[in-house]
Amino acid sequence: MTRAGKNSRGVVERSLASFVDALEHAFYAEELAKKNGLLQKLDPRVKIVAILPLIVIAALARRLWVIAVLFALAVAIALLSSVPLGTLARRVWLGVLTFTGFISFPALFLTPGPAISSLPLLGWTVTAQGLRAAIYLIMRAETAATFSVLLVLCTPWSNVLKALRVLRLPVVLVVVLGMTYRYIFLLLRNAHDMFTSRKSRIVGRLDGPEQRRAATASVGVLMSKTIQLSGDVYLAMRSRGFQGEVYVLDEFRTNWFDWAMLALFITVAFLAFWFGR
Amino acid sequence: MHIPDGYLSPSTCALLYGTAIPFWYTAFARVKRLMNTRLVPLLAVASAFCFVIMMFNVPLPGGTTGHAVGVGAATVVLGPWASMLSVSIALLIQAVFFGDGGITTFGANSFNMAIVGSLVAHFTYRAVAGRTAVTSSRRVIAAALAGYTAINVAALLTAFELGIQPLFFKDASGAPLYAPYALHIAIPAMMLGHLTFAGLAELFVAGGVVAYLQRTNPALLGQRSAAGAKEDASPAAASGWKTTRPLWIRLALLMLLTPLGILAAGTAWGEWEAKDFSDAQMRRQITAASGQVAPPSEQPRGLARLSSLWSAPFPKYAPPFVHHPAFGYVMSAMFGCGLILGFFLFMGWMIGKRGSVDSGTSP
Amino acid sequence: MTVPIFEVRDVTYSYREVTALDGLNLTIMPGQRIVLLGANGSGKSTLLSMLDGLCFPEKGSVAFQGEPLAEDRLIGEVEFAFRRRVALVFQNPDVQLFNPTVFDEVAFGPLQLHWPKEQVRLRVSEILEQMEIGNLKDRSPHHLSTGEKKRVALASVLILDPEVLLLDEPTAALDPKSESQMIDFLVSCSGGRKTVVTATHDLDLVEDVADYCHIFRRGRIVAAGTPTEILNDHALLLNTNLVHAHRHAHAPGELHSHPHRHGHRH
Repeated sequence: MTRAGKNSRGVVERSLASFVDALEHAFYAEELAKKNGLLQKLDPRVKIVAILPLIVIAALARRLWVIAVLFALAVAIALLSSVPLGTLARRVWLGVLTFTGFISFPALFLTPGPAISSLPLLGWTVTAQGLRAAIYLIMRAETAATFSVLLVLCTPWSNVLKALRVLRLPVVLVVVLGMTYRYIFLLLRNAHDMFTSRKSRIVGRLDGPEQRRAATASVGVLMSKTIQLSGDVYLAMRSRGFQGEVYVLDEFRTNWFDWAMLALFITVAFLAFWFGR
Repeated sequence: MHIPDGYLSPSTCALLYGTAIPFWYTAFARVKRLMNTRLVPLLAVASAFCFVIMMFNVPLPGGTTGHAVGVGAATVVLGPWASMLSVSIALLIQAVFFGDGGITTFGANSFNMAIVGSLVAHFTYRAVAGRTAVTSSRRVIAAALAGYTAINVAALLTAFELGIQPLFFKDASGAPLYAPYALHIAIPAMMLGHLTFAGLAELFVAGGVVAYLQRTNPALLGQRSAAGAKEDASPAAASGWKTTRPLWIRLALLMLLTPLGILAAGTAWGEWEAKDFSDAQMRRQITAASGQVAPPSEQPRGLARLSSLWSAPFPKYAPPFVHHPAFGYVMSAMFGCGLILGFFLFMGWMIGKRGSVDSGTSP
Repeated sequence: MTVPIFEVRDVTYSYREVTALDGLNLTIMPGQRIVLLGANGSGKSTLLSMLDGLCFPEKGSVAFQGEPLAEDRLIGEVEFAFRRRVALVFQNPDVQLFNPTVFDEVAFGPLQLHWPKEQVRLRVSEILEQMEIGNLKDRSPHHLSTGEKKRVALASVLILDPEVLLLDEPTAALDPKSESQMIDFLVSCSGGRKTVVTATHDLDLVEDVADYCHIFRRGRIVAAGTPTEILNDHALLLNTNLVHAHRHAHAPGELHSHPHRHGHRH
């Protein structure tokens, strides 16, 4: 019974924690995007065109030192864009290291190749290839994650979306993405309220099936609300002249600095590609 | 199941983006035609819903919790096409904004979870639910099974994509460049968690949502195109089927035909399994890596026999590169996908047929 | 003789087997400021959506400036022309604010109506300043307070300078300060030739934004009159659930009740 009690709180609390996390993450990103730094100064379209190739090349490189250089570049950009390394370490590096480290750990022993050392008690042998494989995976994952997080942290979300149009994303998708992002927070808030009110009512004695029913009913409530919401939003859009085609305002202007940085980024990407072959 | 950046080679990513695009395109055209001007708000809000669902923790038997992708629930309420788009959009926002799943691997993640997940959920739901009443308990079971099957097929695909990486992509020293585990490790490791916890979470969410909606808002389950489209349920689904059927048939045929005769020439399956599965040291390590579940001790004989069957048409004329084991893997995978697709095509055809017979006999 | 802006004749409408409007008749003249008073669920919101051409009567008819307002007529250019002239502020601002930022939100209407982009930029900045929300320009709607959201929602329709402004519970869920601010905005923007139709159950709002009141009860208009007439008719207000008898003891043992209005002005 205690377990069930603890468990019911666990579910509610864990869900609540993940909602709050998402909200905080978004808030923090908006704060950082307002700061004055290298990436914040660049036109969002330039940022996308400059950083995407670096992510791809981090995935493409076949030499560890090239990936390491790209990672160092990401750190340098973070410093120039006043993104605190502590934040980056907590939010990105540690998470990726834990996850990918856990995943790649067995590869140390499982990859065939000459043994370079062995675990004291178990006697499993670490192979040179296994070690390299683990380092490849971790480095790549860290580098790509750092670049993509930098892109998002230093750009207001609405601008990221509008800038996606340089990748030939149709306007309608850009609009849908923007609205999705907007309503994620409304639904998160809804879900959050639903859970908090449930939490205040639960004294701590719900067995598994009951909890499950409560959880899935919450999803059901949210789904009904979602459908209702989509109908209402449609009416609100139509009321302001929406007839299926959407028109958006994009007000980006590039200057010489954008072009110079773009050229620099592309050159680095090309060099990394060349040396990483 | 969200594959991060760096786990798949760029060529695999490109291939999967390429595979996903026609589906996105078709889904978009379909949903647009059905929803007309309501498309934008529906997609936006449904995607937000899918996103939020991925954060819900569901209590599972045994005292743990897991969270679902929500693809089962989304497919039952929104239909496979809208669900495919909504889950993809939710994945995109997760990847770009929350760093959950990679940007280069977004195509792969969408293909596994959103596209294949929605289609598998749709066909499972329709096959099990049949033409039962909206409020029948069979629909709850159908939805639960749909969620469970969808998430497991998606996990299998993910495992497969990860598992072929070390086969193709190694550096000069032989170290794997991307995900390091071959299929015989990747598949059991991935499936173990999904056949149990993650699968159950999806099962409970999909079943629970349908049970809840049956009590409170059965109208949502009655019409395939929720949120006010005027089309009636089955014609909408059927017409969707008809317009896209050529696409499917072509894809299935292509997949079935390519590896004919080439598959067995490489005897890829036999090679690695015979070697690895009988090596005691290797077996221990696989067992450890797959969460203490021992892999089968023998290579599956059925497959070996099957491959000799396929090799019959032109064993000698196959070009040399087909003897490369990696090629065999891909061919057999294509073949497997083709089989699955063919199976669903057949099911869809059967359902369609049964539907028309039913409506023919009913007054 | 002037043509009425809206003419509603014998309109019936039901929503999921619940009758929302039941044989309703109403005429609204240009430049009139009217309030639709009624408790929650009395059909006011449905009527507003109908006047905004978002839902259509099952029985009866609605005419806009003498032209019937029907689903098959309200398409393409006709719809554009109508949308430019009639605007609705929804009760729930979360429904109305669907854009990623406040600026985009206010720009949405003009962009759909194909205004030139330069003009859109200029007008959006102007209207944001006018509504004292210029500082919120780049904020996301989910970071705004309810009062701010309502103001953005109002700005997003005022930018089109509509002839007819339909307001659904403009002061609901506002704290006293935001409420009085909102009323000031409504008073200032409803001057001149604008026709303003406000649906509310907030009696405090009536005298400021209305020349004439219609009282709703279960999908029908049960009474009409000037704000003074209506607000002094306690029996009517009690009967239509707009006030409730508030019991309290004045002296030990003596229980006394009188109609009590809720709402606060400061």
